[in-house]
Amino acid sequence: MKKIADRCLVGFAWLSAGMVTLAAVMLVGFLLRRGLASIDGSLFFGETHWLDAVSGRAPVFEGIWPALMGTLYLVLVSSFVSIPVGIASGVYLAEYASKRVRASLGCAVDLLAGTPSIVMGLFGFALILLLRRTLFPQAGTSLALAALCIALLVLPYVIRTTQTALQAIPVHLRILGPVCGLSGLQAIVHILLPVASRGILSGVILAMGRAAEDTAVILLTGVVAQAGMPRGLWERFEALPFRIYYLAAEHQTRRQLDQGFATSLVLLLLTSTLFLTAFMLQRRFEKRWKKW
Amino acid sequence: MPFGRPCGLRLRSKLERCIERILLIATAIAAVAIISILLLLAYFCLPLFTSGELGEVFSRRWQPFAGSYGILPMCAGSFAISLLALFLAFPGAVAICFFVHSLAPAPAAGLLKTLVHFMTGIPTVIYGFVSVFLLVPLMRDWLSAGTGFTLLTAAITLSLLILPTIVLVFQARLERIDPTLTLASAALGFTPIEQVRHVLIPASAQGLLVAAILGFGRAIGDTLISLMLAGNAAQFPVSLFVSIRTLTAHIALVLATDSQSMAYRSVFAAGLVLFLLMGMINLLIQRIGRADNEKTYEKDR
Amino acid sequence: MEKVVTNPAIVVEELCVEFSGKTVLENVSLTILPAELHVIIGPSGSGKSTLLRAINRLNEFFPNCRTSGLVRIRLDGHLVDIYARDAPPLPELRRRVAMVFQTPAVLPFSIEKNMTMPLKVTLGLRGGELRERMEWALRQVGLWDEVEARLLDEATTLSGGQQQRLCLARALALGPQVLLVDEPTASLDFRATETIEQLLVDLKDRYTIIAVSHSLSQARRLADRLWVLREGRVMQQMNRRQLQDAALFQEIIDNIF
Repeated sequence: MKKIADRCLVGFAWLSAGMVTLAAVMLVGFLLRRGLASIDGSLFFGETHWLDAVSGRAPVFEGIWPALMGTLYLVLVSSFVSIPVGIASGVYLAEYASKRVRASLGCAVDLLAGTPSIVMGLFGFALILLLRRTLFPQAGTSLALAALCIALLVLPYVIRTTQTALQAIPVHLRILGPVCGLSGLQAIVHILLPVASRGILSGVILAMGRAAEDTAVILLTGVVAQAGMPRGLWERFEALPFRIYYLAAEHQTRRQLDQGFATSLVLLLLTSTLFLTAFMLQRRFEKRWKKW
Repeated sequence: MPFGRPCGLRLRSKLERCIERILLIATAIAAVAIISILLLLAYFCLPLFTSGELGEVFSRRWQPFAGSYGILPMCAGSFAISLLALFLAFPGAVAICFFVHSLAPAPAAGLLKTLVHFMTGIPTVIYGFVSVFLLVPLMRDWLSAGTGFTLLTAAITLSLLILPTIVLVFQARLERIDPTLTLASAALGFTPIEQVRHVLIPASAQGLLVAAILGFGRAIGDTLISLMLAGNAAQFPVSLFVSIRTLTAHIALVLATDSQSMAYRSVFAAGLVLFLLMGMINLLIQRIGRADNEKTYEKDR
Repeated sequence: MEKVVTNPAIVVEELCVEFSGKTVLENVSLTILPAELHVIIGPSGSGKSTLLRAINRLNEFFPNCRTSGLVRIRLDGHLVDIYARDAPPLPELRRRVAMVFQTPAVLPFSIEKNMTMPLKVTLGLRGGELRERMEWALRQVGLWDEVEARLLDEATTLSGGQQQRLCLARALALGPQVLLVDEPTASLDFRATETIEQLLVDLKDRYTIIAVSHSLSQARRLADRLWVLREGRVMQQMNRRQLQDAALFQEIIDNIF
């Protein structure tokens, strides 16, 4: 009787593994089958010549170039906020904070990490409402607002990876700072941060990946279907994930649908490269300390 | 050999104090952010309390044109879809953990691990997009489930989204309890599956709970999949094949279309409910985690 | 019989150290003379390393440590109470009282960076001066010829003995007056041990050296003065003459262990 139960369990484990693999393969396979053929110059630039599009001399109407650039700007601007703040917080939590401060600020970081992205978007939206009612009646959703909300969304990733990477440094390396006559800050800058850099980098890349893929935040904070190239921080913009979402519901021609699949492939390539890089870095970082 | 004295030590320590303060301020940003989110949501919900429209929002009907703005169907929708997704994903995720951990041949385990990591990198919107054109037609044709945009469709896709989360969380727990236990049980002559049944599952019960809660949280917080696949009809989830609307999708939908003040308020109420729900989940995890930490601490001593 | 101490390098008086309320050192008093090699031995847990770390205040790096008593070190000709309020700042103290550990603790950087980073950061050395100091220190430990051609290699690619000498060179480069050496050969093979021991003997004229040792025979070979520690107390002090008398040495050791 027991043997049968064991067998069933083993069978179920194999089945689950197989199903998930099948699902992932189907997902990617379906995307490839429907989208691969459409990945070409016109996917990105439409009818516009690529040189004109890249240099911004001519607008792109059909292609996803503006959306790609929008996503890129979004990732860059949000990283500009989230990376320095995140690393600084991680350093503080790992190296300076007392036990109590670490627990209470850590709790805030956890709460932030648990905030659903749509709520973060709603926060941005509410912020604009508030600004309109008070200081700036003409305030509106924009790239800057979206980037700020995205930065808050990914901030916990950067903080936590920085903190764990620093805390994982073994005592025999940690003690070298004081032994070499370095002050606390000098030890952090010249020993601890370089040693932890790989772990921190993986967190940064992870955060960029999350920033590139998130749709719900930008949905409420300034993304639109037709904005052209991002023109400034205070303007609305296009983004890849939103374009995919938009095309799923609003495609009118077969060509647009194919473009949706191709766009998905492009975004998938972008994010999975980022995530796998982060994963590899993380794994190598962990392996390094197992030697000791 | 002459040795120079370092210069400006006093100055340097002043600089250090200054930098420590800057770091503290940076850390406080997270706390300030979380408090401002709460306050801002609460501020926009305030009219509900003062004007007594609270009962209106927490009622069972959403018919903005008929003047009913109840978000209870959305609450129910969120719970239904998340529980269903958890129900679908959890057994599989746990089985995969044990599979990778002790049952699978090494290459398969490595491959599966990489696959799970790859899946965490797939954008939510892509899960949604593919399902719209792959799963929805299947549901429509095979199960003749109306338009195909149903609770079940969304829950299946959502289960695929939360599965990697559960696997990674549980896997990390499993690795933490592992070394001595597997060795001891292997020494007792347990086969891998016996190890799983009699050693690993009892030893990781708490990890199972944490993984389930986190998976549930991820499901509740997701917007895109329910928005794209669940049909967005504001009704109670009476069967697997009805179309429903979640709290998250409700926020996205209303802000995209409506502009009446009452509908807006229902959105902020939905946001506040979500926020508080996630806060509770967080608290729960922390409570469990603390109990867990104390236990291992006792063991160390 | 004892020589009257006129110019001690380090004076430790009634030193007590507690970790989380547990006493590790109790009323330890000792006087360290310059230009002698001092060795501390004792069973594990007797507080040897803690005593060593009390002399450069490294115990404070670990949580819940309480130190009382007096530790005075001769810096630039004056005996300075290092636990006093007006004591030199910790980074400076630790530069003057250098330390080498049991397992070679190189930084996971290049050999050159291991040497130059502390010099750049703490002393602000640059360019030619920096290089000169690095070469000088590496020559002191006889490592220069071995690493000159591969300065940019990872320090972890060196052998254990080389790594230990690199750590020693890194400490010497900072211009210390006291060298604290915590079981420096515990993780090394016979040949590397011999090199390190010879190095310590060579350096003792210029630095005050206090070494913790795990081996009685090593202690006998090296020590000009030996302290035996047990359960946080000094049980016995021996000078060179007593150490050379094998029978006497054996008797004392037997009495203690």
